[in-house]
Amino acid sequence: MRHLLILVSLTGCGMSGAMKQASIVGQCAADDAACSRRHPIAPLAIGSRFHPDVSAEISGSATPNLVLHSADPSVLAVEDGALVAKQPGASAVLISTEDGAVVDFQHMWVAPITKITLARRDGDRIGGSIGLAVGEDVTLVPTLWNRAQRLTGDSDAQWTVSTDGTVSVLRDGSSDRRRLRARAPGVTRVTVALGGIATSVDVEVVP
Amino acid sequence: MIRVALIVLALAAGCNPTLSAQSLAPPGRAARLDTIDSFWGIKGYRLALSKGVAIAVTCSHGGPCAKLRVTSDDPAIAEVHDASLGVLQPSHGGVYAPDNQATAAAFVVVGKAPGTTKVRVRTDDGGRTIDVTIVPPPEVAPQAVVAR
Repeated sequence: MRHLLILVSLTGCGMSGAMKQASIVGQCAADDAACSRRHPIAPLAIGSRFHPDVSAEISGSATPNLVLHSADPSVLAVEDGALVAKQPGASAVLISTEDGAVVDFQHMWVAPITKITLARRDGDRIGGSIGLAVGEDVTLVPTLWNRAQRLTGDSDAQWTVSTDGTVSVLRDGSSDRRRLRARAPGVTRVTVALGGIATSVDVEVVP
Repeated sequence: MIRVALIVLALAAGCNPTLSAQSLAPPGRAARLDTIDSFWGIKGYRLALSKGVAIAVTCSHGGPCAKLRVTSDDPAIAEVHDASLGVLQPSHGGVYAPDNQATAAAFVVVGKAPGTTKVRVRTDDGGRTIDVTIVPPPEVAPQAVVAR
């Protein structure tokens, strides 16, 4: 048994699954600071989707085609390869081969959102108002929290602007972040809301 | 007499495979495999598992169990899956191959719903029964919602 434990610890270097053979991390671009800080996986925010990047390290074998199953789909469901957070709790996510052999599993947590903050794409947190010149833009990423715990998962938050024409809120292909483009001088308030929780930031546009 | 009793005890204990947990319980949840002992050795196993939690278990009998077959009496309470644990264990190669090794024989049990059931482990070297209790997850305390 002692030999087995030593072997398990050696073969599992860097793998975060319970059996030390595979890991689940978020799909992030290499230069996306806001995304890369999601590692290791934080609890998933209720209502959010997490797009996992599964990798395995099995001695003598390349990674087989792996599929995910949730132990408790009422807490965390697997839909079209994404993990969808349903209600607070924990659920094991089984990483299996197509013929059903479990290669590894990882327990994941789901928590409600109690606070939303905004950050720039480089990770800098927005603490006050934003000033832009006409024609400038800034990309904002909402960060979801449960008290002091940062949450993960892509959310489909609602973005609204208090006055029309001052700034435009543009999608850039991501489900959560938005690019604010300054259109005309003035002051406006941008509000981001999700699941009954909201946060706002004042944007001043100068000529 | 004592020597005979010890030999009988050792033989009795060696008739069936032994099981070992190979994964940790997540924080605040149960995933614990214990033996049920008798005078003659291990009588069976007891597994306490939280709903939504999984545990990996290996089976050995002087080496990885051969032809491992695991079934649950009630998959709606406890689900079992074959597992592929890529590690080598010393195998019972006999006097001609004392250094032989084989891939570990493993399975995973998943807690699906609170209740009790039995998981039956069958191998070429005998079998074991696990008395499984799936416990509900602890209730989450309500928390204040803060909006800016």
